[in-house]
Amino acid sequence: MIKKTAPKGKTILVIEDERPLLEAINTKLEKNGFSVLSARSVEQAFGAKLIKNDLGIMTVHSVEQALMYLETLEQVNAIWLDHHLLGKEDGLYFVKKIKANGGRWKSIPIFVVSNAASPTTIKSYIKSGVSKYYVKSDHRLDEIIADITLFLDHPGKIKKVVSVA
Amino acid sequence: MNKKTAISASSDIILSLKVLAREKEIVRRKLAVTAEKLAVTAKKLAATAREKESVRRKLAATAREKEIVRRKLAITAAQLAATARKLAATAEEKEDVRRKLVVTAAKLATTAEKLAVTAREKEIVRRKLAVTAAKLATTAEKLAVTAAKLAATAAKLAVTAEEKESVRRKLAVTAEEKEVVRRKLVVTAAQLAAVAEEKEGVRRKLVVTAAKLATTAEEKEVVRRKLAAAAEEKESVRRKLVVVAEKLKKSYETLEHKVLQRTKDLEMSRAKEEAILLSIGDGLLVTDEKGNIIIINKRAEELLGVESKDVLGKVFSNAMFLVDEKGKPIPPEKHPARVALMGSATTASGHVYYDMRKDKTKFPMAIMATPVILDGKVIGTIKIFRDITDEREIDKAKTEFVSLASHQLRTPLSAVNWYAEMLLAGDAGEMNEKQKKYLNEVYRSNQRMVELVNALLDVSSLELGTFMIEPKSTDICKLAKDVIGEQKAEITAKKLSFSFLCKKRKVCMLVDPKHLRMVMQNILSNAVKYTPEGGKIIFSISPADKKNILLKVSDTGYGIPKHQQDKIFTKLFRADNVRDKDTNGTGLGLYIVKSIVENSGGKVWFKSSGEEGNKGTVFYVTLPLEGIKKSAKNK
Repeated sequence: MIKKTAPKGKTILVIEDERPLLEAINTKLEKNGFSVLSARSVEQAFGAKLIKNDLGIMTVHSVEQALMYLETLEQVNAIWLDHHLLGKEDGLYFVKKIKANGGRWKSIPIFVVSNAASPTTIKSYIKSGVSKYYVKSDHRLDEIIADITLFLDHPGKIKKVVSVA
Repeated sequence: MNKKTAISASSDIILSLKVLAREKEIVRRKLAVTAEKLAVTAKKLAATAREKESVRRKLAATAREKEIVRRKLAITAAQLAATARKLAATAEEKEDVRRKLVVTAAKLATTAEKLAVTAREKEIVRRKLAVTAAKLATTAEKLAVTAAKLAATAAKLAVTAEEKESVRRKLAVTAEEKEVVRRKLVVTAAQLAAVAEEKEGVRRKLVVTAAKLATTAEEKEVVRRKLAAAAEEKESVRRKLVVVAEKLKKSYETLEHKVLQRTKDLEMSRAKEEAILLSIGDGLLVTDEKGNIIIINKRAEELLGVESKDVLGKVFSNAMFLVDEKGKPIPPEKHPARVALMGSATTASGHVYYDMRKDKTKFPMAIMATPVILDGKVIGTIKIFRDITDEREIDKAKTEFVSLASHQLRTPLSAVNWYAEMLLAGDAGEMNEKQKKYLNEVYRSNQRMVELVNALLDVSSLELGTFMIEPKSTDICKLAKDVIGEQKAEITAKKLSFSFLCKKRKVCMLVDPKHLRMVMQNILSNAVKYTPEGGKIIFSISPADKKNILLKVSDTGYGIPKHQQDKIFTKLFRADNVRDKDTNGTGLGLYIVKSIVENSGGKVWFKSSGEEGNKGTVFYVTLPLEGIKKSAKNK
């Protein structure tokens, strides 16, 4: 069903607030050979808990700073993003920041997997340049992972089809 | 000496003369000068005299003018004297009036005193009245209690009145029948009386003849006796008839009396009924067959913001101006009252109208218009309506709740979905067959829950108006093929014969592909779901007319029971015959289809034999070819 060709040191940043879902995603991604970085809030995504190297805990105060660190610290090939997250900022805010700050991060494909977004929000995501939007409860994990794998193998080949609530 | 003296004297004289001459000359000269001066003076005097003359003349003229002025003044003085006399007279008259006023004032003062006395008396009376009023209030309370009792009695009487009304109708019918019988009997009696009279004549003649014949023939005597007997019998019949006629007359009179009494009772109950009508808690508007208002109750006046005196006798649109949600007037032919007037049955109360009052405020109303039919003819309409603002708000709150709850439900559903998926994929180790089977049940049930939540969300967004319509040029044949593809597995599994007909290779239209997909999915999946194995399904796309395209899905399935066909598009409704066969269905699909199609300016309907024997169902959807208008509504 899934062509497991993509991973070979590929890393996915997963940002999802629901712990059980985050665990399921992580497990499934790791089963498929991806390295996973995870966060439950935008602050975390940009913050110290992402760091796997031996640099210890660092706190960051601005998105720019976070981006700077991330740029030097980790190689992220794709981002798996939920809309509702812990903390004040939501996924859309994260996407806008990433895209606005440019650099290498601007071109990282983002896959939004969420239940809660309204049609208007989905449109905003697509406008902001995410690769694909999934309604969480309508898709299997292996479907989404297959899409991501396909995308990483053949960037640009995947259609920007939106499945809308 | 003498001479010398003489000569010296003469010379002296000469000398003196000479001096004298000189002096005379000087004097003459002086006189000449003086004369000249006098001449000058004379001239001056003459000039002065002339001036004086002119001055005198001027003075004379002035004197004349003064005389004129004096005369005028004299006249004026005379006039002033006259005026003074008149003023004096007036003053006297005024004095008279003043005296009279003083007298009048005195009289008024007296009257005022009298009035004061009267006022005091009135105050005493007023106090007494207040006491009486208090007593009356008490009495009124008692009366109110009595009135309540009477109202209860009236309600009972209303019931009795209805019963009496039915009795009266029966009596009226009976009376009519009796009247007919009576008339016939009267006629018969009259005829019989005439016959009897004739016979009496004959009898008398026969008696005479018999008397004549008595002596001549015994046989004739026998005949006569028989005839007499016959005559007697007839006479007794005639008498009986007279008695019957009398009885009929009496019973007729009793009936007349009863009818009169009933009429009185009816008038009484009619007055009561009118009072009941006007007191109904919903708006009530009754029109005649031309649509003119003949009854409007209090609540209707309040709701519509009109007064009965302004609208009675006028066309109902003077009181009720129906618009849709956006404030667009309802066309007259769609007005429920019009529909009722056309004689068709009661208009459905499901549709929401808004009434635009004169002050441009509007309120949503539920309205039920019923034709008033007498002897098979429409003689008017009754409209009953009420303000449903509150209901609508509660409805909206409910829908919002459903939307919110559904979103929340999706998170645990996703967790169940994904963990079941992982377990089934063996991510947590291999499972035995039974475990797999059970878990598959969990997974499938969860899928159904997801579908239900999705359908609920579609419904709530349709109802909240947050369902965005985003038309795009879409090849609807291709879209149909995609939808059929999704159902392929099920079609094959049930061994259904399936055909898809689309004459053109491509039919591009401006529609919202997401929504049209939902419409096709729902109708097609229903056909697949509710057609037994080996059945036949035909899906066709063709032009309906110049302006519309027709989608048609026919099956050989279970059909829709006749008595439930009117409910099939209702939210959460599932027909009995499919509920028995398949529990998997939300009852939302066709409701969503209808909402989408009608929002898009199209129509959806179906034909189904509905009787037992699986004769199948055909669903029809038409959509405007010109495309669908974009909706700007948004969350």
